[in-house]
Amino acid sequence: MKVFIDPPNSMILFDLVERFGHEPLSSMAVIQEKVDNIEVDMPPMNVTLEDVIKGLKYAGIEVPSGIRGRLALWGPMIDAADAAIVIENPPFSFGCVGCDRSNELTKYLLQRRGIPMLTVAYPNDAEGAKSMVGQIKEFLDNLGKGAKA
Amino acid sequence: MSTARETRLLMISPDSNITPDVLARAVHTMAENLSVKETCYGCLVEADAEVMKTIISKVRADYRNEVFTKRRGYPAGDPRRCRAQHGTRPGFAQLEAEWECLPLIQHALDDIDAGNTSYSETVRKKPLPVSELKKICEEFQ
Repeated sequence: MKVFIDPPNSMILFDLVERFGHEPLSSMAVIQEKVDNIEVDMPPMNVTLEDVIKGLKYAGIEVPSGIRGRLALWGPMIDAADAAIVIENPPFSFGCVGCDRSNELTKYLLQRRGIPMLTVAYPNDAEGAKSMVGQIKEFLDNLGKGAKA
Repeated sequence: MSTARETRLLMISPDSNITPDVLARAVHTMAENLSVKETCYGCLVEADAEVMKTIISKVRADYRNEVFTKRRGYPAGDPRRCRAQHGTRPGFAQLEAEWECLPLIQHALDDIDAGNTSYSETVRKKPLPVSELKKICEEFQ
């Protein structure tokens, strides 16, 4: 099943979802599409008019362009996802997730879709890591069973 | 999605004994038609989607919970990202943050592999209600 990961560029989440037998939906794949097919200098920081229009489906015209730009990439993945895993409060410098409004809107869109969603915390110690990995494994295992039933 | 090229980033957990050189050499022998670039954290691998599947399953078999992977949007050595060409490296802070976390994840996965699947859910911190704060303040008066 397709699992949207948030932060969408997280290696830990990407690896765990793939390790436990599902397909992670991450920003890297959509960025590759732009790197390979579109002649812009610096994707995803440079966008095309198409992206701006696409972003309007997920965020209004009055919303800052950075949020709309991010959601132009993440929105179609949220639409395609069968489930989602969210890690709360990633470090501020964590790639492209420094914009809290984008993060709020992403979580809102995920909740509005009503797909199975797991929220976990970044681990600080061994116990926290065990809890995080255990919850993700259980969630993904049950996801497979739910699909077969 | 484009299937012609898949670039993967392989990162070694800090608790592992393998080195980027060992990993890069091992990955080179795993399949044909691939390119490998050794990096400070592990290596970058580039191949088509089918070959990449083989490589990842072999890496997971040989270095079960020691090597972690994710896709990369840019090809290896792309001038827009390559340090040698003064490219920007916006993903570095994120990689560093997750690299610090990897030993914890590695040991959690080792535990699960050993059959120890029990865990206790971490208690989420909630904001202190104003009434509670007021009570605490009054106690100190």
